Amino acid sequence: MTSTDVRIGTDPHTPPEPPRRRASWHARANAVVLAWLALTAAAMAAGDHLPVAPWLAIHVFLLGAVTNAIVTWTEHFATALLRLPAPARWWPVARLAALNAGIAAVLLGAAAGYPAVAVGGAVVVVGVVAGHTAVLIKQARRALGGRFAYLVNWYTCSGIALVVGGTLGGLLVSGVLPGVWEERLTAAHAHTNLFGWVGLTVLGTLFTLWPTVLRTRIVDGVAGPARRALPLAVAGLTLAVAGLAAGLRWAAAAGVVLYAAAAVLALVPFVRTARQRRPHNGAAWMLAAGVGWFVAALAADAAIVATRPPEEIAGAVEPLLPLLLAGFIGQVLIGALTFLLPVVLGGGPAALKRTAALLEQGWKTRTAAVNAALPLIALPVPTWAQQAAWAVLLTALAAFVVLAPVAILRSRGRELTPSPTAIGLALGGVLTALAVGVAGSGFGAPAETGAAIGETRTVDVVLGDMVIDPGVIDVEPGTELVLQVSNSDTQPHDLRLANGAHTPRLGPGESATLEAGVVTEPMEGWCTLMGHRAAGMEMRIDVDGSSGADTAEGTDHGDHQAHDTAPLNLSGEMSPDWRPYDAELRPAPGGTEHEIEITATEVEQEVAPGVHQPVWTFNGTAPGPVLRGEVGDVFTVTFTNDGTMGHGLDFHAGALAPDRPMRTIEPGQSLTYQFRAEQAGAWLYHCSTPPMLQHIGNGMYGAVIVDPPDLEPVDREYVLVQGELYLGEPGSEAQVDAMRAAAPDAWMFNGTAAGYDHAPLTATPGERVRIWVVAAGPTSGTSFHIVGAQFDTVYKEGAYLLRPDDDGGAQALDLAPAQGGFVETVFPEAGTYPFVDHDMRHAENGAHGIFQVKEN
Amino acid sequence: MTLWTVVRFLHVLSAMLWVGGQLTVSLVVLPLARRRLAADQRGTMLSAIGRRFGHFTIAFFLPVQITTGVALAWHKGVTWASLAEPGYGRILAAKLALFCVVMVAATMHGIVVSRGRPTLARVLAVTSLVTSLGVVLLATALPAT
Repeated sequence: MTSTDVRIGTDPHTPPEPPRRRASWHARANAVVLAWLALTAAAMAAGDHLPVAPWLAIHVFLLGAVTNAIVTWTEHFATALLRLPAPARWWPVARLAALNAGIAAVLLGAAAGYPAVAVGGAVVVVGVVAGHTAVLIKQARRALGGRFAYLVNWYTCSGIALVVGGTLGGLLVSGVLPGVWEERLTAAHAHTNLFGWVGLTVLGTLFTLWPTVLRTRIVDGVAGPARRALPLAVAGLTLAVAGLAAGLRWAAAAGVVLYAAAAVLALVPFVRTARQRRPHNGAAWMLAAGVGWFVAALAADAAIVATRPPEEIAGAVEPLLPLLLAGFIGQVLIGALTFLLPVVLGGGPAALKRTAALLEQGWKTRTAAVNAALPLIALPVPTWAQQAAWAVLLTALAAFVVLAPVAILRSRGRELTPSPTAIGLALGGVLTALAVGVAGSGFGAPAETGAAIGETRTVDVVLGDMVIDPGVIDVEPGTELVLQVSNSDTQPHDLRLANGAHTPRLGPGESATLEAGVVTEPMEGWCTLMGHRAAGMEMRIDVDGSSGADTAEGTDHGDHQAHDTAPLNLSGEMSPDWRPYDAELRPAPGGTEHEIEITATEVEQEVAPGVHQPVWTFNGTAPGPVLRGEVGDVFTVTFTNDGTMGHGLDFHAGALAPDRPMRTIEPGQSLTYQFRAEQAGAWLYHCSTPPMLQHIGNGMYGAVIVDPPDLEPVDREYVLVQGELYLGEPGSEAQVDAMRAAAPDAWMFNGTAAGYDHAPLTATPGERVRIWVVAAGPTSGTSFHIVGAQFDTVYKEGAYLLRPDDDGGAQALDLAPAQGGFVETVFPEAGTYPFVDHDMRHAENGAHGIFQVKEN
Repeated sequence: MTLWTVVRFLHVLSAMLWVGGQLTVSLVVLPLARRRLAADQRGTMLSAIGRRFGHFTIAFFLPVQITTGVALAWHKGVTWASLAEPGYGRILAAKLALFCVVMVAATMHGIVVSRGRPTLARVLAVTSLVTSLGVVLLATALPAT
């Protein structure tokens, strides 16, 4: 007969401390847990209004509530079951204070944008848990061991997991990690903490907690699984985390599967116990449901890890988080507390019964609500259903946060009988807050503060065959404008306003309500489907009587039209605040791996003397940044679309399948584009989003220089990217027509027509100067020539056409669109040497600059 | 000073009397009655106040409030559809919904008092008072133009 009775916390052999003191400690420590739970509910209710929204709610819960609970209760179980000596009196209190200070620092630091504070907090949290684990180990060594010795092993491993996972978290929040690592380490961090810190603690605790909750005896043969499952789980988790961090998909998947197998093994006694005595109270059902979600989430996680590339796992497992956090961890935590709080708060059998009854109040409804809501949250159901499910879930979990403090206060001898006035005030306050919330909702675009909110106007807008009707809407300033948008065409359209408000993509016959917000200034609207705007799907919202804004807008337009008709005055002066694109080419940075961040933005640039033109750019300039490296170098580009339309990237310098890296990403999205520069050359990169004619024609191009292995050092190096200038509203019909006719308004070196006439490049006689040239087009190439100079070196498209010791010389470097190369020359004497595209139509229309050669 | 000024005045005046009356009863009359009156006297007195207030509500407050409110909304060009729109429409809709809550709470208060459940009656009275202040808050949030 090896079955044993276990009573946690009521063991008659362990009265090393007066129960009063212990109850008081538990009341305080669990009050902290409950406070964090309440904050979790508040953070979730606040939704997107908080900074770093989903992160904050997740970490308030896991780091605040769960980590506090684990530290408090693992110590309790270890000392109670292993009959360990109680730790020094000051330790739990100091630990509690330090842990929560660390947690607060992590949360506040990350939310307020002080990564250093957050990292400091992470260090404290990791340190406290490491200390806690060390104390457990030390105490356990002093103890005699016994039947429950395995428990400390589980807790030790879970503590180590938090040290690893917390360190990863600290690294992530520090923001020093390059993009590609961030995704992988996020996945590793989440797995370590969820399955290690939380998972191992729960599995280890359930061996004894579960029979106690069911008020039955521990089934025979628990020790076997309890001992065998741990090494398996740790091996699986280690493999999974290492695989995730290193980007080895199959290792990671195998690790998750191994961990899941270990979890199943550890749950064998769990199932056997449940068959011996069916769950019959709230605590047991919540624990059982929680464990069910744990197993379900593990299976789903294994599938995701096995089928997704490593850098996508962090994003792909996001839908699982509600299952793990609310379904598994939340229910296990609340289930455990429902059972444990009455036990530790004590006060005699009658008080225990009363507290238990209070905590279990409505448990059937609550448990049913949570477990019915969770599938709705995880599945792709309509938004309203999902929001309703979240509300139900939150209410059901929050009910415990209301019940538990009452229980704690009662146990401290404080009876809570709220006065009817207080209840009325609370009820009325909640109802009023709800009404105010409804009243304030729906202000789509952030209204300018202080702007008078006038009437609300609703206007019907019809999206037709390449036309938006009405084309102009006149409103009073301060009008709250609502557009009732419908699509009468046979193909999909949408409507986006310049303030960011937009409809979803509307199929034929569909309609949507677009809340434009309070209109204080004129604003444009258009269809974002590629090419539709150029084809005429534009509209304007004009503000009556706001003469200031209107005039500014008017002259702006007048400007563009003037440029469209009048020829450019290339000999005019550049604006005083104009800065030339830096043509000087710096040596390749050391190292064989280059991390580059490129952001697509839409800005205005001075493209010719006195002419400002909206351009689409990489990193705010057209051309974009110059990348330079050596053969074999790896470039990792983190590309973010900060514009208003889809953009993409295409690096000619690397060979790879274009499908994923060259895909178009929508505004606000990012991608990572990694390529190895296997071949030397002067390579073009450009936006990969169709129509590329427009994207390149509006400035989305740049150069990648990969040095040939034998490249000799020279005195000066410059890079010139030649492009074409199309004036007018980007994407407008007139501009697109000019592009199609290959009729640019001007040609540009490095984004400004005749720019280097005004900011000459410099050299001294006798110096060897190398000029890299890339022709971006989109429609014309170049014939690069320096007036008065001869080239003794020509390198074009990966090969030397001419070297200094050859007999001949060269006069021009000819490049078709998207070709590149370099030339070298030694200026014979001081003087002003124009450099041009020797196609004279180009040279006389902007493809012109000056080398000012001066004696030192 | 137009006819609409008068209509708006009536709307505000009636609301003022109702909310102000509740506040006066709760903050002035009730505490004094508890201190100065014997239990049986207090019961008679308070139920008389409650009845009088109920009559005032049905005979004056509700008719005036609803008539002037509908008229003002009509004058403003409010339609059923516009109640769903953000801004004026939605604030007004929230205000109307909260007003219904006030009326439900006040009615239930009357019923519960007559059935002799003082605690619940007190809860409902305070709820009604707080939510009616909420209605005033939303009324002041309505854009003036």
